Amino acid sequence: MSVERHPTEDLPAYALGALDTVENAAIADHVERCDQCTRDLARFQDALYQAAAIGAVDVDAPRNLRARIVLRHRGSRPHAATSWTARIADTLMRPVPLAIPAVLVVILLVSFAVVGLNRQQNDRYERALAGVADGRVVALTPTGANPDARASVVIPKQGQPYLVVRLPVPPSGKTWEAWVLKPGPTAVPAGTSNAGDIFILVLTAPIGAGDGVAITLEPIAGSQQPTTAPVLVADKT
Amino acid sequence: MRSAVVVPDKADDVRLVERIAHGDAEALGELYDRYGRVAFGVLYRMLPGPETAEEVAQDAFHAVWRQAGSYRTERGSVRTWLLAICRHAAIDWRRTRGKRVEREVTIDAAAELVSDARVDERVLTALRAERVRAVVRELPDEQRQVLALAFWGGYSQSEIAARTDTPLGTVKSRVRLAMNKLRERLEEES
Repeated sequence: MSVERHPTEDLPAYALGALDTVENAAIADHVERCDQCTRDLARFQDALYQAAAIGAVDVDAPRNLRARIVLRHRGSRPHAATSWTARIADTLMRPVPLAIPAVLVVILLVSFAVVGLNRQQNDRYERALAGVADGRVVALTPTGANPDARASVVIPKQGQPYLVVRLPVPPSGKTWEAWVLKPGPTAVPAGTSNAGDIFILVLTAPIGAGDGVAITLEPIAGSQQPTTAPVLVADKT
Repeated sequence: MRSAVVVPDKADDVRLVERIAHGDAEALGELYDRYGRVAFGVLYRMLPGPETAEEVAQDAFHAVWRQAGSYRTERGSVRTWLLAICRHAAIDWRRTRGKRVEREVTIDAAAELVSDARVDERVLTALRAERVRAVVRELPDEQRQVLALAFWGGYSQSEIAARTDTPLGTVKSRVRLAMNKLRERLEEES
């Protein structure tokens, strides 16, 4: 269930942080890819900041709070903060012996580009999961067919369970299909998606304690039973 | 600092965040000097007591330290980015560690958007603060209430609907109308 159109109606609530987890993850994914919604979101947030400033309580922070914040970080590095582009830039700024053949530089750049794309996708995938505030998250394991695939099943306290998935667009005539794995064993169809990249797939079959979840590639109309080996699977949730 | 009217330059804010991304802890202190008061004031209002606000403020600035490298100017100003980090940190705290009784107290406190004891003139010019207050006052009561519950209470639209015994569609409509009006009127005023 990827969001294709601009989520104009829900963007104000998204800026306010008032959406439920499924809606929140879908819109976060859209905003990540949409310049127009990014700009609109910034305008809503700026208005909120001004409203917050007149609503915040005027109270003195503890005197040594600033010092504690600074001392905690002095001498350390913001390890998780530097973007992949900044890391590449830093790397390229280092002195390199002139004797290194140009072809190695090209190979290096291509490698960085691939790693960078993966990192970017990983970041977006992690951000989508970071929006989960009140649910249980179980990661699915990629199988040998697609080791870069990622997915997690989110079981919120309220509402339907759903998958946050990172997979490429399925081949023409095919679809990604989710399954709830019951003891028996039985695979119950639980929804399909033709989306690619990072997307949300709401599970249409109930999921019980100890059930597993899997994703397979199926014909475009979906299947009643899996016809291919799973690309991602969790034996138990 | 307390009596100063702080109107930081946006480009200067961005340079601060760039320094933080390169591991400059003093820049983090300078960011605190600019926005620590409003950040602490927001956390103080959202959380049950000063000790908690202090703990979450440290977590929030640690998040700033870790995320500075991923800040993008096109996604909004530094101050709104920092405010979003603080709110998320407060909501996370309440959902993971906050006791239910503490949260119920905060619902009452969240019922009004504008506080009596304001921090506004420390972070907005006095004239601007008065205009913002006027725009907020123009909102109908029911719209102001849903904004306050969502912003200060950290409640989702469906939680607000359940707690105020209002249809979810009505709550969504009020949030949308209020946010659009707030944005439009504040942009007209600026």
